[in-house]
Amino acid sequence: MGSPSAPNPGPGSGVRSALPQAYAVRSERERMLEAMVRVAAAKGYEATTAADVVEAAGVSRETFEATFVGKEGCFLEAYDAVIDVLVAHVSTAFESTVGQPWPNRIIAALRALVDLLASEHDIARMAMVEVTAVGEDARIRYRAALGRFTYFLEEGRSASAQGDELPADTARFAIGGATSMIFDEIRAGRGPELRQVLPDLVFAVLMPYLGPEAAEDEMRRVAREG
Amino acid sequence: MGKRADTEALAGAKRAGVSKAPDSRVAEAPELKLVTSSKRQTILEGMLEAVGAEGYEHTSVRTVLARTGVYRQAFYDNFADKDDCYLQAYDLGVERIEAVLVEAAAGKDSWTEQLRAGLGALLDFLDAEPDISRALVVEVHTAGGAALVKRAAALQRLTDFIDGARAAAAERGESPPPIAPEGVTAGIQALIHSRLAAKADGSFHELLPEFMYFAVLPYFGAEVASTEMRAATA
Repeated sequence: MGSPSAPNPGPGSGVRSALPQAYAVRSERERMLEAMVRVAAAKGYEATTAADVVEAAGVSRETFEATFVGKEGCFLEAYDAVIDVLVAHVSTAFESTVGQPWPNRIIAALRALVDLLASEHDIARMAMVEVTAVGEDARIRYRAALGRFTYFLEEGRSASAQGDELPADTARFAIGGATSMIFDEIRAGRGPELRQVLPDLVFAVLMPYLGPEAAEDEMRRVAREG
Repeated sequence: MGKRADTEALAGAKRAGVSKAPDSRVAEAPELKLVTSSKRQTILEGMLEAVGAEGYEHTSVRTVLARTGVYRQAFYDNFADKDDCYLQAYDLGVERIEAVLVEAAAGKDSWTEQLRAGLGALLDFLDAEPDISRALVVEVHTAGGAALVKRAAALQRLTDFIDGARAAAAERGESPPPIAPEGVTAGIQALIHSRLAAKADGSFHELLPEFMYFAVLPYFGAEVASTEMRAATA
């Protein structure tokens, strides 16, 4: 982040010199990130080139190269931005149900998640399927991204009759299970219909905490209410 | 769903001819092309080792030749290219894991005993062969659509194995929804994936107690699951 008040006329930058330089820089970066998200979502990471991103963002190749370490660097940053949006969206749903029983809040969070992923299914494929094929650094970010969802499950320990007896990896197990199910749906081309697996996701996430019977009750309730 | 999935479920392992159970199919096991098949075997193992250690992208036919000391011609006598070789190596690796699991579970009376022995053997394999495991669990995502189809089939067999609990659960009046075993497999797979990807090698056996908890829970409830978790800790 540059300081927005720093005066920098930017010699020879033409029309854009009317804007504060830091603003122009940030907006170019954001345009390239958005372009990366759109292009990689549409044609897959493998097939995406820096030239595609440069063209879609309407920036120069030099700008791209000055901002990111190659296509992978740009992708990784774009990926983080997508996860930020997802986490914020899920978090809003979770917080808007504060005071309600924990299972209701988890259901609200999962519903928000599948709705967003379904409506942006190309981006969802990029963020959940493509990313696992990009390489080591992407995998580290992917794991970190999943870790950001454990917060929503922590309260489940107090909702569970097992409490502290629950295995240490319970949140990771629940999130991993739900993520794999979403992964399979998106990979099979059913991303737009992701809402249909919401009851299954509810069961998978709640079951480790509430046990099979209570989780099945919640699953059926969600299936009825749609 | 609901099919009896004791040791029969992992049918792929039987095809490897490793099961000690008397089985008419063992006689048909393809042991004929001994010479080429041992070279082929060497290449397949080398492929898994290389992919696990260096990543699928960074592995080339040349890498595999260097690791195994096999001539280029021998490679192309057996495989069309790197992708083809990996796909066959994937089958071999999965068959081997399934054979280990089936063998450990064989002869155990109850489903929970089969499960504990089978999952324990699986985790021991992960500890003993971290590179091969990484090639199968992590790098499969990099190897393209055909590899992912094989992955889905392997996970389905694990799901069926876990769902072997269904009959015993039904006797106790429990009938979890079909998604239950899928969720267990997916969660277990995710925990394994994340440790392999993080190169937390040698840390797998300690997962057995919680795996028992997660797998037993949907069929028999929290109390039995806790008991099994403690039993696996001992």
